[in-house]
Amino acid sequence: MEATIGFGLILLAWEYGTAVVRIPNYILPVPSAILRRFWETIAVQAHHLGATATTTLIGLVLSLFVGVLLALAVIYIRPLKAIVLPGLAAFNSIPKIAIAPLFIIWFGLGMEPKILLAFLLALFPIFVNSVTGMGEIEPDVLDLARLAGGTELRIFAKVRLMNAVPYIMDALKVAFPLALVGSIVGEFIGGNNGVGYLILSGQFNLDTPLVFATLLSITLFTTVVIGGVVLFEWIVLAWRPSRRTR
Amino acid sequence: MTTATAAVKVDNVTKTFETAAAVEGLSFDVGENEFVTVVGPSGCGKSTMLRMVSGLVPPTDGKVFIRGKEVHGPIGDVGMVFQAPVLLPWRTTIKNILFTAEMRGENPGQYRQRALDLIKLASLEGFEKRYPHELSGGMQQRVAICRALLLNPSLLLMDEPFGALDIMTREKMGFELLKIWGANRTTVLFVTHSITEAVLLSDTIIVMTARPGKAKAVLTVDLPRPRDVKTLRDPRFVDLAGAVRDNIEAQWVE
Repeated sequence: MEATIGFGLILLAWEYGTAVVRIPNYILPVPSAILRRFWETIAVQAHHLGATATTTLIGLVLSLFVGVLLALAVIYIRPLKAIVLPGLAAFNSIPKIAIAPLFIIWFGLGMEPKILLAFLLALFPIFVNSVTGMGEIEPDVLDLARLAGGTELRIFAKVRLMNAVPYIMDALKVAFPLALVGSIVGEFIGGNNGVGYLILSGQFNLDTPLVFATLLSITLFTTVVIGGVVLFEWIVLAWRPSRRTR
Repeated sequence: MTTATAAVKVDNVTKTFETAAAVEGLSFDVGENEFVTVVGPSGCGKSTMLRMVSGLVPPTDGKVFIRGKEVHGPIGDVGMVFQAPVLLPWRTTIKNILFTAEMRGENPGQYRQRALDLIKLASLEGFEKRYPHELSGGMQQRVAICRALLLNPSLLLMDEPFGALDIMTREKMGFELLKIWGANRTTVLFVTHSITEAVLLSDTIIVMTARPGKAKAVLTVDLPRPRDVKTLRDPRFVDLAGAVRDNIEAQWVE
């Protein structure tokens, strides 16, 4: 309740205060101007948001597959862990944003470099959390599974993967914004699609309301996705002790 | 107790870890449908022995036979209960019990009734849909026992299953186990520290020496079944407990 009132007050201050302090429209447009511009360009917003959402989500899904598979490899092949983990950590600390222009040169102006950027940025948190989630299982549980005749595949599906779900959910909350940044930076550097491109054209034309309107689109997108993750957790992780108080 | 084919035959088994031998020249038999308990001081290799019988750990020397067949790995017909219940936290009681069936590759639906019967036998009615952290330690162990018994294994191995419980719960669990076992009469190999537990539950008690462990004495418990609280007061019970204690204590002197 207080948060809504507080937020409302901020909006009012923004709407009417900026004129008093003489802030020009191209620096900080008022909320009503932003909403108007958003409504005017709604079809354009939808189109470009769709492009960004596609590259972000494809990159994210790829990072899930590769991250989990790589984690499995590291868990089952002991010596691999000493090589892959530090290797990936080192690779991760190279700012991919800086090599983004290189990806544009290599892969062109289409979706590919954006997907690649999104994927590379999202990979590390997914991988690390998968290794912990799937690897840190009580040895007694694995023994019991094997005594009952469990194959490694069944153990993977019903023990390792299930144990990893909370860890992977947490990783997604970190990986998704990273993937989004990857896509947007790719769009800043090349191509004519996506919210990154839209923001840049707003900047180029000094159409600041458009920039803000695009930020609004991005916020809506992230809210939906993170909301989806939280909903998934709400349903699938209902067993967690914090959710069930005696 | 030697029969033509004992349910379990441990034949001159040795297990060495790095430099030290946990178990050396250990030999004993377990008869069909017998409840056999192994007692011994800490670190005498009881758990190692149990793991070798289960097939999880290979012996360094000697052989283990289950019904005449040499054990080379887990045979899929053995239930096991550890000191820690190790239930899967994301599964309800009934789903934890059905875990064994799922690992075997069977359709859990087929075993649902069996799971419910075991729940009733273990006095866990009403807790089918609860999660492990909502159950007490004793209840979790009962779930673990039901899980081990789901597929009617021909051998049940128990490694100090009540060791982590308080004395009163431990005693109560002993009687619960007698009740559950009474309905199934599986062959059981039970490991414990507790002499009274050993005498109350078993048909035969094997006393192991300190590390490196070997079988020092075999005592037959001829108390009538079914056993209950009154058995604890039976003079024969006291005598047997004394005999076991003497055997263990004799080792301190050696």
